[in-house]
Amino acid sequence: MAIAEHTSTTSVAISRRRFFKLPFGVSLALGWLGLMIVVALGAELLTPYSFTALDLKARLSPPLLMGGSFAHPLGTDELGRDVLSRLIVSIRMSLLIALFGTIIAASLGTALGFLAAHFRGKVEQLVLMAIDFQASMPFMIIALSVLAFFGNNLVLFIALMGFHSWERYARIARGLTLAANEQGYAAAVRQLGAGPGRIYGLHILPNIASTLIVSMTLTFPEIILLESGLSFLGLGVQPPLTSLGNMVGYGREYITRAPWIMLAPASAIVVTTLSISLLGDWLRDRLDPTLR
Amino acid sequence: MLTFVISRLLRAGLTILFVMTFAFIVLRLSGDPALLIMSVDAPPEAVAAFREAWGLNRPIWEQYFSYIGHAFTGDFGKSMRDGRPAIDLVMERVPATLAITMPALALKIGLGIPAGIYAALHRNSMADRLTMAASVAGFTMPSFVLALLLVLVFAVQLGWLPASGSGSLDHAILPIITLGTGGAAIMARFTRSAMLEVLGQPYIRAASAKGVNWRRVVSRHALPNAAIPTVTIVGFMVGSLVAGAVVVESVFAWPGIGRLLVSAVANRDLAVVQAILMVIATWMVAANFTVDLAYGWLDPRVRNATAH
Repeated sequence: MAIAEHTSTTSVAISRRRFFKLPFGVSLALGWLGLMIVVALGAELLTPYSFTALDLKARLSPPLLMGGSFAHPLGTDELGRDVLSRLIVSIRMSLLIALFGTIIAASLGTALGFLAAHFRGKVEQLVLMAIDFQASMPFMIIALSVLAFFGNNLVLFIALMGFHSWERYARIARGLTLAANEQGYAAAVRQLGAGPGRIYGLHILPNIASTLIVSMTLTFPEIILLESGLSFLGLGVQPPLTSLGNMVGYGREYITRAPWIMLAPASAIVVTTLSISLLGDWLRDRLDPTLR
Repeated sequence: MLTFVISRLLRAGLTILFVMTFAFIVLRLSGDPALLIMSVDAPPEAVAAFREAWGLNRPIWEQYFSYIGHAFTGDFGKSMRDGRPAIDLVMERVPATLAITMPALALKIGLGIPAGIYAALHRNSMADRLTMAASVAGFTMPSFVLALLLVLVFAVQLGWLPASGSGSLDHAILPIITLGTGGAAIMARFTRSAMLEVLGQPYIRAASAKGVNWRRVVSRHALPNAAIPTVTIVGFMVGSLVAGAVVVESVFAWPGIGRLLVSAVANRDLAVVQAILMVIATWMVAANFTVDLAYGWLDPRVRNATAH
C-alpha cells in the first residue's frame, strides 16, 4: 500500500513537471494571449486617442516602420483615426464576442448532451437530430440566413455566435456521460440518493471537463474567424462599433494607398488564432486521454 | 446494397425537409412576413392583399404545407429588388461559382492528399514538419486575409493579375488559389493523421512481418483503409464549397452565389436568401449522399452493417 502510494505520488510529480515544462512555441503563444487579455481589459487606459476621434490633418499617415511619426505609431485611416487605438478597441470587441460565443456554445451543448444521456429515448433522438442538422449545414450559411431574417444587432449577433459548434459539446457530453454512467462512481453517487443536478454538476462534469476545455480551444478561434469574416462582409459588428474583421473590411478599400489599415488587424487575427491553436494542441496532448 | 441506398435516400430527403422547416420557423419567428417583405410604410390595403395572396391569414399548418409544396416546385417567390423569380436569380449564378470552386477543389485534393500521405510516410522529416506548419497556417489564416495578401502581392505590387472582377481567365486565378490553398492544408492534415492511424495498426505490422514489400503494404493495405476517413473530409469539402466561396467571391467581386447571398442578406431580400438556402442544402445533401455511397463501395463493413 505504502509502495503503491509512493509510486503514484512520484508519477504525479513527474507528470506535473512535464505539464509545466512549456515548449518554446507554446510560451510565445501564451505570452501573446496574455498581452491580448491585458489589451482587452485595459482598452480604455491603453488607447492613445478615442477610437472614433478624427484627425483630418493627418489622414492616411503611415506607421512608424514606413516612415511615420510617433504621434500615430500604426498610422491613421482615411478619416485620420488612429489605427492603434482602433486596433485595441477592435481586439477587445472580437475577444469579447468569441468569449461569450464559446461560453454559450459550451454550456448549451453540454446541457443538451446531459439531457440526451439522462432521458434517452425520444429526447435523445431529438437532440441527435438537431446535432445532425447543425453538422450538415455550414454554419456560415445558417448565420447569414438568420441575419437576413432577423436583421442585425450586437446582442443577437453574440447569441448567434453562441450557436456555432454547440453540437460538438453535445456530442462529447452525451458520449462521455453514457460512458460515465456505466462506471462505478456515477452509479455509487446515484445509489447514495444524489439528484440528477448533483450527479451531473458535481461528479460527471468535473470528469469530462478536460475534453470540453480542449474543445473550447477549438471553438474560440473558430468564432474569431467567423465573426471577423461576417464583420468583414459588413454583416457582423456594425459601425460605429468596430471589430478586427470590420477594420480589415474597411481597410480593404485603401489597400493600394494605405495597406497598414488592413495589415494591422489582419495580423492580430492570424497571430491570435494561431496562438490559441498552438495552446489547444498542447493542452490536448496533456489533458485529453480520449484523443491521445 | 439496395436497402442501403434506399435508407440513405430517405435520410437525404428528411434533411432537406428539415432545412425547409428551419427556414419556415425562422421566417415566422422573425415577425410578420408581410411587413418584412413589403415595407413598413406600405398602405394597409396592400399589406392585406399580400396576406391574402400568400395565404398568411390561413392557419399556420396550412401555410406550412403550402410553403413546402411551393418550395418543392422551386417557387420561393420573387426577389424584392428586381421582381424576378428568386430561383432564376440563383440558378444563373451557379456556373460562376462552379467555375472557381471546382478548380479549387481539384487543387485541394491534388495537393493535399499526396502531401498528407508523403508526410505520414516520412514522419518527423523536414517535409512532414513543413506540411504540418503549412496546415496550421491554413487553418488559422482567414480566407479574406489570404485573399487580400495575394491581392497586395500579385495585383498591387507585381501587377501580374487583376485585383477583382470577372470576365477572363486571369480574374479566376487569385480566387482559385485563395480557395484551394487553405483547403489543401486542411486536407493534408487529415490525410496525414488518417494514414498514421492506419500505419499503426497490427495488420500493417503483420503484412510487413510476412515479408510483403513495403511499397505493396502501403498501396494495398494502408491506402485503402486510410481512404475512408479521407473520403469523409472530401465530401465535407464538396458540400461546403459554396459556403467557402461566400467570402472569397465578395473579396474578388466574383459574380457567384456567395456574393449574391451577401447582398441578399444585406438587403434582407428574403426570397433570394431562402432560394439560396435550399440550393445549398440540396447540394450538401447530395454530397453527403455520394459520400455514403462511396463508403458502401469502399468498405464492405458499412454495406453489410445496414443490411440487418
